[in-house]
Amino acid sequence: MVSRFDQQKTKHQLFHVSLSLATILICMTYMQYRRNWAHLGSFWDSLVVPIVFIGELLKVVLARFYGRIEDGVLTVKQRQKKATYFTPRELLGGLTLQFLCTLLYAFICIILGAPVLGNYEQTFVLALLMTLLTVSPTVFLLGGGGALQVCFCEKPDFVTKCEDTALNLFKYNALGGILGAWAGSVVAPLDWGRDWQAYPIPNVIGALLGSALGNIYACTHVLYATARVYMTKKRS
Amino acid sequence: MEQHKSRLGYTLGMLSLFLLGAVLFLIGFFPASYSAAEKDSTVPEGRPTTLHGVKLEPPPPAYDSFILFLVDALRDDFPDATSMPVAHSRACEKLTLHVDIPTVTMPRLKSITTGTLSNFIDIALNVGHTEQVEDSILHRLKQKNRVVSFAGDHTWVNLFPSEFTRRAENNDSFYVNDFYEGDRNVTKVLESELEKSDWSLLILHYLGLDHIGHVEGNASPRINLKLKEMDEAVQKILEHKNLPNYLLMLTGDHGMADGGGHGGNTPAETLVPLYLYSKNCSKATTVTKTYNQIDLAPTLSVLLSVEIPTLSIGSLIPEMLQSLSLEHQLYAYFYNAHHLLNKARVKFGHDRVQWSDYYTWYQNATLVHKKLIFQMRDGDGSGASQVLYHNAKLNYMRVAREISGLLSESLVKFDYGFIALGLALTTAASLHMMISVLYLDLTEQLHLDSLNVAQLVVSLIAAVLVNMTSHALDIIRTSSWLQSLMLLIPLAIAVYLTIDVAQALLKIALPPIYTRRLKLSIPLPLPLLACFAIRTLTLGSSSFIEFEYKTWYYLGNSLILLTAFRTLRRRITKTNVELDGRHLYTIASTCLWQMRKVFVMLMLLTLMRYIHRLQAIRSTIMIFSLLLLWARLHRHSASWMQSVASGAALCMVYCFRGLNGQVHFIELAPYLASKLMVPTLVVFWCCLALVLGLGYREALPQAHPTLGTRSVVLQLLQTNLTSSLLLAALLQKVQNILLLPVLLVALQQTYKLCDVFGTSTRKFSVRLVHVYKIIMTIFLARMFYFYQGNSNSLSTIDLTPGYIGQTSYNPVIVGLFVTLNTYGAEIHAFLYLIVHTLRSDLRSVGIMQLQPPYSIAADSLIAPLYAALIMLPAAFYLCLMVGFRYHLFIYSVFSPKALYDCYTVLVFYLVFLVTSLYFKLFKNDA
Repeated sequence: MVSRFDQQKTKHQLFHVSLSLATILICMTYMQYRRNWAHLGSFWDSLVVPIVFIGELLKVVLARFYGRIEDGVLTVKQRQKKATYFTPRELLGGLTLQFLCTLLYAFICIILGAPVLGNYEQTFVLALLMTLLTVSPTVFLLGGGGALQVCFCEKPDFVTKCEDTALNLFKYNALGGILGAWAGSVVAPLDWGRDWQAYPIPNVIGALLGSALGNIYACTHVLYATARVYMTKKRS
Repeated sequence: MEQHKSRLGYTLGMLSLFLLGAVLFLIGFFPASYSAAEKDSTVPEGRPTTLHGVKLEPPPPAYDSFILFLVDALRDDFPDATSMPVAHSRACEKLTLHVDIPTVTMPRLKSITTGTLSNFIDIALNVGHTEQVEDSILHRLKQKNRVVSFAGDHTWVNLFPSEFTRRAENNDSFYVNDFYEGDRNVTKVLESELEKSDWSLLILHYLGLDHIGHVEGNASPRINLKLKEMDEAVQKILEHKNLPNYLLMLTGDHGMADGGGHGGNTPAETLVPLYLYSKNCSKATTVTKTYNQIDLAPTLSVLLSVEIPTLSIGSLIPEMLQSLSLEHQLYAYFYNAHHLLNKARVKFGHDRVQWSDYYTWYQNATLVHKKLIFQMRDGDGSGASQVLYHNAKLNYMRVAREISGLLSESLVKFDYGFIALGLALTTAASLHMMISVLYLDLTEQLHLDSLNVAQLVVSLIAAVLVNMTSHALDIIRTSSWLQSLMLLIPLAIAVYLTIDVAQALLKIALPPIYTRRLKLSIPLPLPLLACFAIRTLTLGSSSFIEFEYKTWYYLGNSLILLTAFRTLRRRITKTNVELDGRHLYTIASTCLWQMRKVFVMLMLLTLMRYIHRLQAIRSTIMIFSLLLLWARLHRHSASWMQSVASGAALCMVYCFRGLNGQVHFIELAPYLASKLMVPTLVVFWCCLALVLGLGYREALPQAHPTLGTRSVVLQLLQTNLTSSLLLAALLQKVQNILLLPVLLVALQQTYKLCDVFGTSTRKFSVRLVHVYKIIMTIFLARMFYFYQGNSNSLSTIDLTPGYIGQTSYNPVIVGLFVTLNTYGAEIHAFLYLIVHTLRSDLRSVGIMQLQPPYSIAADSLIAPLYAALIMLPAAFYLCLMVGFRYHLFIYSVFSPKALYDCYTVLVFYLVFLVTSLYFKLFKNDA
């Protein structure tokens, strides 16, 4: 029995995952190239945030590219919804949402032990990175209102199939990023006296690695399915 | 329902067993302090003057001047022909000293001067403040008015504040970046002292080498430069004109590990050189012998012609005695053997010493010694006396070595029998508790919480067998029959519990075939489990223990945040479904606004970290926090009278602090202030008594016959909580008073959050809410415990609250007050949890379902689970301790934490005992 295998979807997923892994690899290469970890916390001096930003944008573009193919099968509601993505109101809403999320992340950082009276730049960079890894892709894809609905509604009916694929991957990306950044703090109390133990560095790296792991985890399903289809094809 | 029978008795039993196990473990791990047993001993003071009726003359000092040249962290292979040419080539004797653990400076200096070893409990208790040494060579020298001069490490001055005639200590010996400055000063002192030459002992302690090691490691090029500098200093002494008759000892206090640190048990750290220099000595043989560092003290005292320090358990170093005449040498050996034998008598009892080998050797040696003295005094020949001399010397040394070994073994050796027994008891008790809380059906099947007589008999027999075997194999050593009989009880209990636990574990592990499937009787949500696991596992790292507060702050806040966000999301989703998907922005912001109190509480929790910085505005803070506390107490007080009384008590607290000058207060003359202090405290205690009395009267059944039994208990416990809070307000440091109301606020908000979280789940379960509340309470209590300024090092225990209103030292009251102050947060949190559970019903959050009733769980679920969650990490930690017993930081980090952990369980036990007494007394008689 042949399992239902969606070639478009699989391609999309694989491209998506490789894009995220590539982003993180580029970040790592960049850090290796700079050699000095201390700049990771500064906003103007570090390229990590722009790199991640470009990576997320590319993922959204990828989703749009694959979405173009299935344009014909959209329902009326989905079409309506799609038309509203780029109204000024939605754009503004999306920006506000991201800004609020950044603030929220900064608040969480401070609650969880970031210095209250100082290191604002580092906290801001970390919050920005977390926003980019978790909220931004969804907002770029669906607009502010759409992102909120995806987050809080059971299963919004206007989401197209290809957007659904992307959203699923974004979810793993976000979860991995959050868990990674949270777990990154584990090195803070250790008395090794290394310079990379300073406040935002382990969390930033943890977030990046975590999202990479999340992507890999997400991709195992796809890889497994691909492998099975490949095997059945070969056998028959 | 059968599920809800009270399990207070069972919990209490398990807690007692755990404590019994902990005590046994601590006895095994920290053998009882040797010096304490020594106090009332019968070791004769002074040097022996007769030997079997023959008068003996203690020898005069062997040298005019002694120089102890101590280089910190001078390890055995450092001085060689290239690094220290002069010191190496001109040494009369090159010996190696074996240093005992811990290889850190302070205990080592004690060993050098007193000749004893430090045991664990000594070190654990002395981490915070260096205790002054009570008897040492330096004390003996001072008694004889001999001049002792000192230069170098500050630690010496802490140990001997008044024993030096002249001293020049470094300002800060822990500032490791000072490589040269301190040492240069020491050398300067050395030069000036060499000119004076009125001293009989000069102690020089160079720290530079140790600092270089700490900062740059043992392979640093600076090490050789520093050794060269030391070499030059040695050369200065050797080539000085004014010293006709001197003994220079070059040694290290401890070695250096390969990384440059020290404190552990590797040969690099435990072996140090001892080089001896004196005028016209015979050059040494090339064989280097190894002695113990504790041997230095008795040898030095003999050479200096002072009494051997009482605590000394070392034997003599024969190479250092060679300048003495034969008679004097023998006297020295005799004296030390005599001293050690007396110590052995005290330690092991007269009978055991009388029948031992070494006593026979001692007898032989003294007889030969006596014979030799007669021969010498008669001026008789050398040949025979040489033989006698060697005979006596060998016997004396044999005695000294044997006893010294026995005594030091009894000091440092872990008592593995006790440790194993303690571990078995603690682990079995906590596992038993955990299993019986988690698997209710299993508990009923196996009757875990009731006593099984047959099993008890079996375990008693097993205990007798184990006891006999372990005594026969010498694993457990006890000094009397009674003690070994007493050991039967814990052994039997341990076997009994282990049988239970093994049975239960087997049932859990084996797939059920005929019986129904076992299932957890309480839900265990993953985040809580993860946080608890992380908290337990991080105990394995010394830095996580040192900075344990970071773990608690992080995990506690994470848990609250996570719960808050999950609640928020569920709320928004719920509202959204009702409102058909539009207006999401509005809904989200409304829900966020509804949760504002939680976020405010989180901010408060964050700010509490900085509470110690608020010294400047503490008067304002104090007034504010007292008002807040009063408002909190007023909310639940029984009558307006009680509110007034508690308000008055809080006023008195402020007056007391004002009279002490810690907060702003009306200006009073000092004598008036000190006179007013006592009346203020008396008024405070009266108010406290009034609060207690009013609360109890309110709760008495005859006052309100309609009151249910549950609310009687509630009223009583509430009164207890109120008075305990009032007392804590008196005891806490001024700025820490803020923590009391904030703790109450935080707990209340967290419980509300848990309620809302529990009711917003799809399948509502009362037990889930309970589990959340218990874990949150534990986390919050620990957070506040650390906010208060506590830590895992013994140095942060605040002793001042123990003396509030006290004119003299009363150990019971001081202990009570200090415990109340230190563990205030945990006590109040637990009491608040019980009171909260008794008070609340879920109707307030919109759940009408009262089956199973919410508040009934207070004694059937909450108390046992709380106890299990307190005990399990402690038991785990004790197991870790055994694994870490040779760890570098066992004294500085791990042992104090173990003491703290056991004490936490004890405090919980006491609070629990009192609380369950109320339950027993006032619940069943209705």
